[in-house]
Amino acid sequence: MIVDVHGHWGPWFFSTDVADAAANLRVMDECGIDVQLVSAVEAVVYDPLSGNPALLPVLRAQPRLRGLLVVDPRELSLAESQLSELLPTGLFVGAKIHTHYAGSPGGSAAMAEALALLAAHDLPVLVHTWGEEIVGLADVVAQVDGTRVVAAHLGGPSWPLVPSAAERTDRLWFEPCWSTPAPGRIRWVLDRIGPERLMFGSDATLIHPAVTLGAIRAAELSAAEKELVMWRNAVDVFRLPTPA
Amino acid sequence: MILDCDLLIGRDIASGARVDGAALAASLAGLGIGGGLVTSLRALLFDAPSGNDEAREVAALHGWWAAAGVDLRDPLTALAEVSRASALGVRAVRIAPDRQGVPATAPGLRAVARAAASAGLVLLAEGDVRVVGPALAGLGAVVVFVDAHFYHLGDFVLLARDEPGFHTSTRLLGDVDGWEVVVSSVGAERLVFGSRPGWFEAAAVVDRLAAAGLTESERALVVGGNLRRLLGVTA
Repeated sequence: MIVDVHGHWGPWFFSTDVADAAANLRVMDECGIDVQLVSAVEAVVYDPLSGNPALLPVLRAQPRLRGLLVVDPRELSLAESQLSELLPTGLFVGAKIHTHYAGSPGGSAAMAEALALLAAHDLPVLVHTWGEEIVGLADVVAQVDGTRVVAAHLGGPSWPLVPSAAERTDRLWFEPCWSTPAPGRIRWVLDRIGPERLMFGSDATLIHPAVTLGAIRAAELSAAEKELVMWRNAVDVFRLPTPA
Repeated sequence: MILDCDLLIGRDIASGARVDGAALAASLAGLGIGGGLVTSLRALLFDAPSGNDEAREVAALHGWWAAAGVDLRDPLTALAEVSRASALGVRAVRIAPDRQGVPATAPGLRAVARAAASAGLVLLAEGDVRVVGPALAGLGAVVVFVDAHFYHLGDFVLLARDEPGFHTSTRLLGDVDGWEVVVSSVGAERLVFGSRPGWFEAAAVVDRLAAAGLTESERALVVGGNLRRLLGVTA
């Protein structure tokens, strides 16, 4: 069983042909991924107003894809409206905030307000983290009651800060996808934060899942670690159905 | 076994990490990589002549090939190292403008590329392919861009269409169809396996290879055939 908590659906602005959900499913099958949580690329890089609803037919047609509703902390009124409209569909299991595209760093007041809104809806959030903002995000998570956050990318090149971020709150989990992975990074992080705090994400269809799966393979997880990292932590945090 | 065009030994002053020849050799075995083209960071970061001697010794010890590193901060010595490498039978030269804080517009970069092309040597080029690529165009150079990222894949393809000697390493082509785009756009002959083990999570590239939609003949080119052809070796 593999749950991928960091997926995307829709076309990218790079030279890659992955616009159709068939591309998600093809690489999921190749890599043994059972369920992928996806946000609409359009909502991340352009406009949640049009991007989030565009994902609905895809989620209805593909039960292996579950939705992450993209929230721009600068437009919380839009987020409130979309939460009211789209959450009752039952197709979204979490939210996604991209700190860079949405101009809202992990430690910002805007991030705190967005996380508070999502906590009020009991919705876990995948937050893009890059650089030292991962520590700022941890401080914000600690301050916002009830929020549950997964820090995507381990902060990218600032992955050595993950243990410091993890110490600040027990409601912050971590996800390791990165297109330029440093050697030994996942084992180093696991040994310091424990397998209960890490969960697999790929960033497909931007990055092939084989990249992060290869990095995890290099970390030589024990059977117990593998169960937690590859699906159980994700099932718990995003309240997904437990596999039979 | 896979051959890797992007092997590095030495110490990286930026990270403080250190990988010697023995450690690199030990890591290759677990990855299914049989060897490849090795450059010394000493040559790229401190002293090219002694670093290149070190790379040749390590290569000879492990049955790899050496690439001569040059320092573009001293283009006069860099040109001398290209000549020395050629005389010693070394078949490749590595340039690292970003690592050395040298802009791609520096005259020394094109001078080294021209000298390498004249001597029939392969260039391993670090840096953003959109910046370094145009600087190396028009020289008839044979180049492997070892830092080409899938974000810039379209620009690599455009460059490669005009430059028959331009190739890309696999290392940073970790998107869903980057390897396949290279093969369909400019041919499998332009894709060279590189994973920079010890400095990069090479297993990620090995697993991307396993997932690649390549035919057996295309795979054979990528994992060794192309590098052998570029270096002019048969085994």
